[in-house]
Amino acid sequence: MTRESETGDMMFPAYVPVGKDRYRERFGLDFEDFRAGQHFRHRPGYTITQQDNIDDCMDTLNQAMLHYDARYAAQTEFSSPLMVTTAMIQRLIGMTWKTFNRRKAIIRWDHITMKAPIFAGDTLYSESRIMDTSQCDDAQCGKVTIMTYGINQKDIVFCEMQYDSLIYRKESLPFSENNY
Amino acid sequence: MKESFNFLRRQAEDTYIECYGVDFEDFDVGQVFEHRPGRTFEEGDCHKHALQSLDLTPHLVDRNYARAVRGEKMQVAETYLLSMMAMTTKTFGKVVANLSLTDVVLQPVYAGDTILLESEILGKRESASRPDQGILHVRTRAHNQHGDEVCRFERKFLVYRKGHGPYRAAGY
Repeated sequence: MTRESETGDMMFPAYVPVGKDRYRERFGLDFEDFRAGQHFRHRPGYTITQQDNIDDCMDTLNQAMLHYDARYAAQTEFSSPLMVTTAMIQRLIGMTWKTFNRRKAIIRWDHITMKAPIFAGDTLYSESRIMDTSQCDDAQCGKVTIMTYGINQKDIVFCEMQYDSLIYRKESLPFSENNY
Repeated sequence: MKESFNFLRRQAEDTYIECYGVDFEDFDVGQVFEHRPGRTFEEGDCHKHALQSLDLTPHLVDRNYARAVRGEKMQVAETYLLSMMAMTTKTFGKVVANLSLTDVVLQPVYAGDTILLESEILGKRESASRPDQGILHVRTRAHNQHGDEVCRFERKFLVYRKGHGPYRAAGY
């Protein structure tokens, strides 16, 4: 399933063959496929809206009006409603799912740093760099230390977070027996 | 009680306006704030969260798969649990913006669980570059209905100093 293209070799199948001319979608890398120094550009991006901001605030009992009172927000240094930090974190991690589809759990974040404000209409892209891979207590998985960057449409890195994710080892992946 | 620990400001005889969010000056290192109400995660919440996060990892969106592989109850996604940081905004309502989170530690939380949050003030300092603001350093913990700690993190964020911020001009 590899072919040459103008921009480089195609790698890592998105499908597992399950019969003659039958392919099942199966994204993701096994733990064994990850190594420090790999960098993944996740796609698609996502243009975040003020409705997203409001929905997240209402869902999380958020009383900080800078996110949803436009009159108040207009008089802050940001001039318009600031996007909720965790609404962006949710999507930056969510958008990594194709590469990290064999994730069992995120067990901790070392740090999450917000470097620039984001507003409705900005487009978020997620990129991840593998910092380290190591053994862990869970025999089904290995631990992958990931740095995920949030990058906007102007190529500004607005968020940077490092965290440890447990990724299934090849022989422990519970997909085939569950129709995945 | 400090002045900003009150939540109603009298605007005229028998007329009051709700205020919330403790002023930077009224925080002291060592204070602990218990945030209320708590929040119960429903299975539908978890599913909706995964979809709107663009996260198609199977245990978050396919209940049949999740039950076969992970057990009877759907797990609350880690980022969804972390988003409950917003439950601290009644006390930290004078926030300007978040700067960072560190040492975020999570335990599994499942549909049907209820969490309560509390925050301890670890440090505070005036901002050099923003004279109307200060930086708070806070540790927030979440406990489930059994009293087990399920989430813990440290956070630094900017807060307006007393008398600053666009509150009066914006009708607050």
